[in-house]
Amino acid sequence: MGMIGFLILFPLVVALVLLCVKNNQARNVIASIAAATIAFASIALTVVYFGKDSFISLSSPVIDYICSAIGIIIAICILVYAVRYRNILAGVLALVQVAAALVFEFGFSHGIAVASGLYLDSLSLLMALVIGVIGSGICLYALGYMEDFQAEHADAPDRRPVFFALMFLFLSAMFGVVFSNNMLWLFTAWEITTICSFLLIGYTRTDEAIKNAFRQIVMNLLGGIGFTAALFFIAVNFHTLSFAEFIAAGAANPGLATLPVICLAFAGITKAAQMPFQSWLLGAMVAPTPTSALLHSSTMVKAGVFLLVKLAPIFAVSFVPSVMVILVGGVTFTFCSFMAISQSNAKRVLAYSTVANLGLIVACAGVGTPEAIWAAAFLIIFHAIAKSLLFLCVGTAEHHIGSRDIEDMDLLFERMPQLARYMMLGIMCMFIAPFGMLIAKWATLVSFVDTKQVTLIILLVFGSAATFMFWGKWLGKLAGIAGSPENDEQTVHRSEWVSILLMVVLVVACCVGLPFISLYVIEPYIATVFGTFSRGIADGNLVIASVATAFVVVVLFAGLGKGKAKKAEVYLSGISVDNEGRTFSNSLSKETAATARNWYMEHIFGEQAISGIGTVCTALIIVVAFLASVASLLGMF
Amino acid sequence: MSYITKSPWVIHYDASSCNGCDIEVLAALCPGYDVERFGIINTGNPKHADIFLVTGSVNEQNIGVIKEIYEQMVEPKVVVACGVCACSAGIFHDCYNVIGGVDQAIPVDVYAPGCAVRPEAIIDAVVAGLGVLDEKAQALKAQNKAQKKGA
Amino acid sequence: MDGMSIVAVVIGTIAFTVAAPLLGCLLAGIDRKISARMQGRVGPPLLQPYYDVRKLLEKDRVSVNASEGLYISCALFFTLLAGGIFFSGGSVLMSVFVITLAALFFIVAAYSTRSPYAEVGANREILQVLAYEPMVLLVAVGFYMAIGSFDVAAALGAPVPAIATTGLLFIGFLFVLTIKLRKSPFDLSYSHHAHQEIVKGITTEMSGPTLAKVEVMHWCENVLFLGWVGMFFLWANPLSILAAVAVALFVYFLEIVIDNNFARVKWQAMLKWSWLVTIIAGGINIVLLTYL
Repeated sequence: MGMIGFLILFPLVVALVLLCVKNNQARNVIASIAAATIAFASIALTVVYFGKDSFISLSSPVIDYICSAIGIIIAICILVYAVRYRNILAGVLALVQVAAALVFEFGFSHGIAVASGLYLDSLSLLMALVIGVIGSGICLYALGYMEDFQAEHADAPDRRPVFFALMFLFLSAMFGVVFSNNMLWLFTAWEITTICSFLLIGYTRTDEAIKNAFRQIVMNLLGGIGFTAALFFIAVNFHTLSFAEFIAAGAANPGLATLPVICLAFAGITKAAQMPFQSWLLGAMVAPTPTSALLHSSTMVKAGVFLLVKLAPIFAVSFVPSVMVILVGGVTFTFCSFMAISQSNAKRVLAYSTVANLGLIVACAGVGTPEAIWAAAFLIIFHAIAKSLLFLCVGTAEHHIGSRDIEDMDLLFERMPQLARYMMLGIMCMFIAPFGMLIAKWATLVSFVDTKQVTLIILLVFGSAATFMFWGKWLGKLAGIAGSPENDEQTVHRSEWVSILLMVVLVVACCVGLPFISLYVIEPYIATVFGTFSRGIADGNLVIASVATAFVVVVLFAGLGKGKAKKAEVYLSGISVDNEGRTFSNSLSKETAATARNWYMEHIFGEQAISGIGTVCTALIIVVAFLASVASLLGMF
Repeated sequence: MSYITKSPWVIHYDASSCNGCDIEVLAALCPGYDVERFGIINTGNPKHADIFLVTGSVNEQNIGVIKEIYEQMVEPKVVVACGVCACSAGIFHDCYNVIGGVDQAIPVDVYAPGCAVRPEAIIDAVVAGLGVLDEKAQALKAQNKAQKKGA
Repeated sequence: MDGMSIVAVVIGTIAFTVAAPLLGCLLAGIDRKISARMQGRVGPPLLQPYYDVRKLLEKDRVSVNASEGLYISCALFFTLLAGGIFFSGGSVLMSVFVITLAALFFIVAAYSTRSPYAEVGANREILQVLAYEPMVLLVAVGFYMAIGSFDVAAALGAPVPAIATTGLLFIGFLFVLTIKLRKSPFDLSYSHHAHQEIVKGITTEMSGPTLAKVEVMHWCENVLFLGWVGMFFLWANPLSILAAVAVALFVYFLEIVIDNNFARVKWQAMLKWSWLVTIIAGGINIVLLTYL
């Protein structure tokens, strides 16, 4: 209990302190110590409570009132911004939501007491590890990054205190999401993540940043309204606000739970940036890179999939919500993987890949069988680690080569040798066997086959092929070697190296240790939730994957660049002028530089061609699911 | 006997000529003569080739290309000059821009005269080149062995 | 049991490392012989591919960078591992994944040279993976649905061979097999023997011993892919192994016929046709397997 309270409140205190600290040096010290403390606290919590799932009796009207107050403050905050930037829609949605929330709290929820306000089980511990270790790693990274960022934007006022306060507030809210059993508290934490990401996306206050921040807030307020609606239904139909009780009651009575689960799933889908709401996450790329890393890997979108994974037992028995979530997730996975092919901006590729992988997790949650949840849990872990590693690498590369375009990462293998290898490791972890992500995808495939999800199988195989394409060509670009260009790596901040190395170690440890994580972490969780479990992948294959991963890592970091063959020049189909610079004398005796760009196949996989279809499909799926559930509810009474 | 004589891959470059020899080289590589019987394959890549077939004479414009192709071929390698222009610049030898035969640019191992050179002559020349190739392969082997011992 | 399966994979990989290059080399020799006969030629000796590789090993060791050779060694290693997993009766899907890893190393090797022609070849190779991967994954899924396990060994306990319920998948697989075997009309990134490519596509900068490794890898790949063809025809009768070998050899002959009768197509056509075939043949077969 004390440790959970510490994890929720400590980042909050740190956030308040950082808000007041203007001194750079002091901030570095405080934030570093705080990040380390949070990381160790979450590890300690996991070690102490592992396998001891428990509910913590905590019921206090004071906390309820604080939650209401926070809700009102958030609404006022959004309203102020909506008025200042003349965004009517955001203002209206904020008003609707706060009004509904207040009516709910004072009209409906008062008779309902939740005895256990907090809880912990393996999944929330796992999430706490992801938030505590990866999230605080990113905060640490941000220290060095924001120094460079401020130096680049010297004319803008230094608003770093606000930035770091928001980052830590975000962590606090995420701990709230994963540990709250009282759905009112959960909802409040949920809304804090929304407003935090709104403020972080709009951090630079450029027109584009403001526009994208409002897109984010509008979409997530819609999700928030969905959440509120779900609370109404749950309170009226189930007379409880305990998440655990609702899941148990919903699984026992799926007909009655259909509508609230659809509403909750809708909230999860908006937060996890699934199609048709993927545009807010892409827009969020205008923010400084640590923000993107935080949003993508350990917070925000993971809150969305966390909610859906928690609901899995209901999806397993409830047809309409399950189909909705499965189809939205599946379509999102495939279409966003396609669109990633057409992107040359590294951060947009990462964004599309995030949305796609979340789609896969969402689909797994929708399938709801123990095997699917095993896959979802691993997808969450590996995605969080590998994606944060990639974001941190891209952020550092951007500051040292002046671009986030993949084509400009040509020769990074020589210009930033360490960083390029880390980035290659992150990329390989995202898409290729024997690394963890693909093993998780394998489990996904097995669970889809076992539950006869034909559409998902087809979507998965095409989406997987697309992921090979867009990661493979990026990996190739990084691997290019020519001449010996200057090393740009000397000026990388130490805090950046520390957090990047942390992610690298985590990637390697988790990929190599996959069989153990499965045995000691994921399977106990599934056993407690579902009672039974048989994994789709035999142990032998997990061990092969683990050994092969170790092999590839050794090759990447100890083997490359040590060949002893005589040096030859590349073939340029003409007379080389400067072979290392790939320039040759052409048939008119003029100098030409031979360059090769990757393929982006804009006309096949371009956003214009695909996002429209995907948006219409997924929007239709959601609308039909809503109508079907309302119809079934009316039919029942 | 080195394996290189059983698998000579050729690359063909047409320097400045009337294209007659050029056509004959292609004819020799056609199914009619079936040079694949001897393991001969026409590659488009100097890095894969063992035998360099050059037709036509060397001029100011192409001498660099010939040199570069030759340099990019991996040892052991031989050069066959196909046709009289490649051997000695032939009827073009007095032209203002012509430097001379291929041996003005790179070392030539076998000369196959003719105007145009006949496919049979080309095949003969390549087979003669195999002997040279074998010698060079043995020399390379000995050299590598010596280096290993030295190391 | 699991300890056993890992030992089986290790033994399988060693056996594959010995046997696959032999078989693959013979296959390549037969391929060239038959192709030559189809074109009215005598063709090279049967052991010509072996001579080629021995020659390449004798060539001087040069490379445009110090990493390419290691990437290719990794590609070869993972090809052998994929074969070992498959032929020791392990998981089809695992062998698909591992061979994809080998393909990735091959691609990255070409990229690492940063040569314009090699990069064109590497891009085309990636595109080929994009074209065939969905079908290959569906084949693994179909095998699992038909036999009830991803393990090849399980097929030897099945009452009927997988082909009984996966006919359409098999046809679809034959279609993309042309890409995997690097045969016309889909030999876009690099093709073997006398076919010309843009310089030499993905292998442009590879020479001597490195190219020899690529050739050996290609032989082993071919044996593995023919193994995938054969697995459709295995069932509880041990004699079915002979049937599987016969079908695999016939399919290889069919691919030679196709190779000799088609000109290379543009990449757009390859992508379009292989995905269409995947959706139609693969999709329908998976639906039938699910609901029948």
